[in-house]
Amino acid sequence: MSFQHKDNAMPQKNNREKGVLVIGGGITGIQAALDLASSRIKVYLVEKSPSLGGRMAQLDKTFPTMDCSI
Amino acid sequence: MDAGRHPNIEVFTNSELVKFSGNAGNFRAVVKKHPRYIDENLCTGCGVCTDSCPVAVPNEFEVGMGARKAIYSPFPQAVPNTYIIDRQNCLNNDFLVCSNCQDVCDRNAVNYDDTGEEIEIEIGSVVVATGFDVYDASAIPSYGYGRYENVMTNMEMERVLNSSGPTQGHFVRPSDKKSPKKIAFIQCVGSRGEGKEAGCQYCSRFCCMNAIKDCMLVKQHEPDIEELTVFFIDIRAAGKGFEEFYQRSLDIPELNYVRGRPSKIVEDSETKDIIVFVENGETGEINHVRVDMAVLSTGAMASESNKGLAEILGVELDENNFFNIDTKYGSPLHTVKEGIFVCGCAAGINDISDSVSQGSGAAAEAERFASKLRIEEKPREIKELDISGPLRIGVFLCHCGINIAGVIDIPSLQEEAEKIPDVVHVEKNVFMCSDEGQRLIQEKIVEYKLNRVVIAACTPRTHEPIFRENCELIGLNPYLLEMVNIRDQCSWVHASVPEMATLKAKDLIKMGVAKARYLQPLYKSSIPINQSVLVIGGGVAGMRAALDLDAQAFRVTLIEKEGRLGGRLNNLTKVYPANLNAVELARTMVERLQASRVEVMVSTEITSITGYIGNFDVATTNGNFKTGTIVMATGSDVYKPETEYGYDKYDNVITNQELENILNDSRGKIIINGKTPETVVFIQCIGSRDPEKNAYCSRYCCPTTIKQAIRLREASINVVVLHRDMRTVGAKAEEQYRHARSLGVKFIRYTPERLPEVTGKDKNADSVKILELALNRILEVPVDLVTLACGMVPNKESTGKLHDILKVSIGADGFFMESNAKLGPVETTSEGVFLAGCVSGPKDISDSIAQGSAAAAKAARFIARDTVELEPTTSTVNQALCRACGLCVDICDYHAPALVMTDSGYMAAEINQALCKGCGTCTSWCPTGAITSLHFTDDQINAMMDVLLAGKE
Repeated sequence: MSFQHKDNAMPQKNNREKGVLVIGGGITGIQAALDLASSRIKVYLVEKSPSLGGRMAQLDKTFPTMDCSI
Repeated sequence: MDAGRHPNIEVFTNSELVKFSGNAGNFRAVVKKHPRYIDENLCTGCGVCTDSCPVAVPNEFEVGMGARKAIYSPFPQAVPNTYIIDRQNCLNNDFLVCSNCQDVCDRNAVNYDDTGEEIEIEIGSVVVATGFDVYDASAIPSYGYGRYENVMTNMEMERVLNSSGPTQGHFVRPSDKKSPKKIAFIQCVGSRGEGKEAGCQYCSRFCCMNAIKDCMLVKQHEPDIEELTVFFIDIRAAGKGFEEFYQRSLDIPELNYVRGRPSKIVEDSETKDIIVFVENGETGEINHVRVDMAVLSTGAMASESNKGLAEILGVELDENNFFNIDTKYGSPLHTVKEGIFVCGCAAGINDISDSVSQGSGAAAEAERFASKLRIEEKPREIKELDISGPLRIGVFLCHCGINIAGVIDIPSLQEEAEKIPDVVHVEKNVFMCSDEGQRLIQEKIVEYKLNRVVIAACTPRTHEPIFRENCELIGLNPYLLEMVNIRDQCSWVHASVPEMATLKAKDLIKMGVAKARYLQPLYKSSIPINQSVLVIGGGVAGMRAALDLDAQAFRVTLIEKEGRLGGRLNNLTKVYPANLNAVELARTMVERLQASRVEVMVSTEITSITGYIGNFDVATTNGNFKTGTIVMATGSDVYKPETEYGYDKYDNVITNQELENILNDSRGKIIINGKTPETVVFIQCIGSRDPEKNAYCSRYCCPTTIKQAIRLREASINVVVLHRDMRTVGAKAEEQYRHARSLGVKFIRYTPERLPEVTGKDKNADSVKILELALNRILEVPVDLVTLACGMVPNKESTGKLHDILKVSIGADGFFMESNAKLGPVETTSEGVFLAGCVSGPKDISDSIAQGSAAAAKAARFIARDTVELEPTTSTVNQALCRACGLCVDICDYHAPALVMTDSGYMAAEINQALCKGCGTCTSWCPTGAITSLHFTDDQINAMMDVLLAGKE
């Protein structure tokens, strides 16, 4: 799997810093993104749905401490 | 939800990876942002468009149970809160010309011709956290999901129980909206399947705990519930605190656990009641159980998006569409392609706590390819608002969905709050913590020139940092904010007496305002820190943490009290599930450490640690040094049996570790006591799941027994495993369990009421008696060897010593306590001190390694900078009033106060701001009133008491 720059599909270069790509904006992806970002690394967090939070945002309480999920 | 606000995170929602190339350290990626049809920079999330939209479609967030519009925000606290148009259902298309939303939007944010955009980024590494999809329960026709109204899934149940869910927290069954009295939970729907129809073969891991939690919640919601029945195969309560949680659920008299997998579910067409057909696994009876509704504990599947993503990334998936991991590191985080890491449910199902550990762990691994990319942070330039002049207090009331508003009369609170002197504005919102709520607070601060803010909402424990940051961003000093907890302290605890709850909320708000009058701006200070790490413990978790931090170019010291590194690995043969050679794994890690810059000190013990985050002074038996952060990875001990099952009497009753040693020594042939045994019996849960000894489940023993049983069975030895529940919850563990059964390993269940009995002559055990529940008969198994699967116990000596030195709390189980069981599994309440591996509870090798990486990521968060910020809410001494009695020095648990010579030449106390936790103990003890707790001053507390007691005798 590779792609060439000459096939014109590559969009214009931009001035974004080099960083780490995190795919998935659920609790796990958010955790990874926050740890990286807090260590001064630029993170690109990509989520396929319209908002972050994943499954956990849908839960009511969490076991075993019964804390609120959001 | 902090990810949306972090300056170093750029979030692309409604987006996907479309192109990917390059090598670790130098990847290029193209992210396609699909059109939202709404400009993110213009939309304020006001919601006027949604009101104007004529379309209603099922709401996927409410698992299809509620409705949403074609232009919508997925849920109230969504990040980002930009709305989105679902163009498939929108009435603005080739044939229709509805443009209601465009017409009503003041900001012209709606653009029907949006085509999205493609963005190219350069990256050093990739973290894949694609999560899971829920199994479609209608794929099992015999359970009738989709046909019978009163059969719902656990995800639907989760929303029904939620106060902001489709029924607003009223717990009713779908057919007649009556509250159900009898509920059945059916476990393993789509998990642990046999045959094509029954779904996935693996265990989905979280559904047992989820069902137990739902039962507890139902009991809370409906105290007069009559019957809760859970139909299960094994209760897999294998995680920190899980077994204890399960045991607590057994105290609910209406809750019954019935072993058995229902064959079918039918509906009584008249009453819409549900009848569950099940063979009771303990009595062998066929039962028809009539209930008001049934909840299917549906399992989890690999995310549908994995297929396309794996192809783009150039990595492989396994037969279940989970990402394949490279097992040679013993870590669950590595894919076969360097620089691409997986976590959470991307490579197999994990619960929240393990997912969070893995998320942090993957971050540490990803940082190895990005440590040169650290960015210079510019301090935020925010102009501080002018707060001079008379008091102008704003009060903000949060409904918390119906969590608060369902009990408390918010309009009357508002009315009352408006009457309080100095309060110039009162505002209410459904969720103050949502983006919309936060922006509302900022707008009102500016509009009304507020110089004090009171927020009456949930708990400051989770939400104060969010509200404080929100004030800070607009230029109001964050310590001019006071939170009042009208949820936990009012609507939750006094739910049965709403009037009283409202009355109490009014009092608490008055007290909050009274305190706010005396609030003063406070400023964080920062101190330089030592950018280094001390790792205590040279087992897998400690070695992994040290290697990960070294790869990020941090200075690392690794201390091991034994003469060599490796810890428990040194005693193992193969590590499940991939049959990795334990000795080889230990050797590879040790070799890497030797080739690294990590300073390794073996045969070394800590004698003392003083200091604080960023500046710890460490004394060891091998010299003294300074460190910035500490990772505790001292592991655990294995339970030592005493008289259980004749362990003290018979030579051929041994522990699983002793069997491991035999397997380790026997190359090829398995010789025990001079001959190859014919039959080996394993007995599970020795020293675990026993309230008298250790209440918790040790988690590693079931998969370990499976591993050993397979090894013995492959040498044609008969193997019988006596167990209470087979808890094969790790990656591929269920598959190994299945493999063991297919090889002919026998599994027989026992209950704690009827323990197996080992009998023998002289020093030799020759038979094991066990009550076979389904046959209701005692079976006698002749044996050559009995293996006791012993649990893990805390290493009392080392945890006790570290507890004394570092003040990290120890839980009831004797293991170190994490800061939050779900969201902070490797953090402690002591800043700069982290946990990894079995030091916080039983774990297997793979989980311990993941936690080693996770602790590395947490330590890196501090030492990636050369300073650390200190909270200003500490205690301070007015030295003019101090008479140097030293009481504060004696009582402080954190060694923060000390007696010093002042500039004026007399002795007085001084408090080290970096050590002080602001607990206030010294303030209350100080006989002269010289000590003040900032943010909790006498003036503030007195003012609160005065309004509370005013007019009350």
